[in-house]
Amino acid sequence: MRKVLLIALTLLVTASAVTVSAQTNKDRRKSFKSWDNYEISTEKVGVDGTKFVKVWGFGKNVDAAVMQAKKNAVHACIFRGLPGGPTAMSTPPICPNPETLNAHEDYFQNFFAAGGPYLAYVNMTTDGVPSGTDRRQVKGGYKVGIYVQVMYDNLKSKLEADGIARKLSSGF
Amino acid sequence: MKKIFVLAAVLLACSVAGWSQAKKPTIMVVPSDAFCERNGFVQQIQTTGATVSSPDYARAMKENSDIRTLVSAMGDFMAKNDFPIQSLEQELKRLQTEDAELAMMTGKSGGEIDETPLERLRRSAKADIILDLDYEIHRNGPRKQVSFNLQAIDAYSSKLISGNTGVSSDANVPMTTLLEECVLSFKDNFLSGLQHYFDDLFANGREVSVTLLRYDNCPIDFEEEFEVNGEPYELAEIIEAWMADNTVEGRYTTAAKSANRMRFNQVRIPLYAKNMNGRDVAIDAEAFVKPLVRMLKKKPYSLTVGSSPRGLGDVWITIGDK
Repeated sequence: MRKVLLIALTLLVTASAVTVSAQTNKDRRKSFKSWDNYEISTEKVGVDGTKFVKVWGFGKNVDAAVMQAKKNAVHACIFRGLPGGPTAMSTPPICPNPETLNAHEDYFQNFFAAGGPYLAYVNMTTDGVPSGTDRRQVKGGYKVGIYVQVMYDNLKSKLEADGIARKLSSGF
Repeated sequence: MKKIFVLAAVLLACSVAGWSQAKKPTIMVVPSDAFCERNGFVQQIQTTGATVSSPDYARAMKENSDIRTLVSAMGDFMAKNDFPIQSLEQELKRLQTEDAELAMMTGKSGGEIDETPLERLRRSAKADIILDLDYEIHRNGPRKQVSFNLQAIDAYSSKLISGNTGVSSDANVPMTTLLEECVLSFKDNFLSGLQHYFDDLFANGREVSVTLLRYDNCPIDFEEEFEVNGEPYELAEIIEAWMADNTVEGRYTTAAKSANRMRFNQVRIPLYAKNMNGRDVAIDAEAFVKPLVRMLKKKPYSLTVGSSPRGLGDVWITIGDK
């Protein structure tokens, strides 16, 4: 009887451990797929009309991760805003309304498509493949951190001209 | 049926074409009182027997090149956003020239331009939104660092629209570079605050203040009773009812109410109203109170009423005289 109880207890503990582990992996996969899961920080005040940031991206290989990082930088400027640093104030998102993405889904699908218009608003400040701590091999691919310059004012003007963002002077 | 559609379309187009734009608020960068005090840009003024120190903006703009750098950098990004700012320096110069010209101006028959002391006092540099700017330079050997504080203030409600504080990087570079870095650092946050303020203005109306004053030669005061629908009401209550009926969603606050004075603040007025020709026009505080002024002139009140604007968002109504 004791043996049966011991086996049952062992099985129960193992099963719950597997469940917890499966849940964690599932969550991890989910968070990798989610576009909101990326890190970005303002490095310093960029030259007029630009933002100088360090952004991370995830991809199956390094090139794909770099492209995703560029996309993330533009995405942050439009929807998330940029966090402040010791000598740079935070930057608000160009479209602060959380409904903007859903309301103009087709526009943004096209904007962020592979080789899409978003590329015109982001410059990589260093040429070459990220290395050292900025290049991490993770399960399913690579996570890379790159320094980019986002043409914030140009991006804002483009979204205003396309009727996605509201101009400061509109209505006056 | 087709004709009706065409007619409706034409009418709609006419109404859209006739729809005017809201009155654009003026914006001006002004050095803060603390900055002027710290740097000695103050003047002593005698008022009612007491000596008070007041900021000397003309001297601050003339003698401090850093302020000019900051104003230029801010003017540049505001102009890019189709919102050119008024130059305090030029406005002060214009007022000086205007003073000189008014003093010399005579008509062909020898008449002079009439100006009351109040009119002279109000003819000063002012804006609807004041950008109150303060900064301080910290030196650490050859290295410099700038800490800044910029507040955008609604001149009529004295409410803070946007506040930005921060520090530049600590570096051995020309002062101009650090000041420009400061402006670039707070620019987008500041614009976002301004946008939020304008969004609120379009959604809930412009926020203004209305003050009613009584001259001593007025036969009645704000506590005088009049009959409305068979019930006696004080004039102050009648004016409050008018405010409730004409403000956006009845939003206003009675800040002061006495026999001789009434003050309403946080008064939300619509941005547009119909003018005497039935056309939609953008209005300010003075245009908003015109119907109230007309009402008080008519029976049973039959008062002599005057209104004088103090910018886009503040108006004084006087009863008993103009």
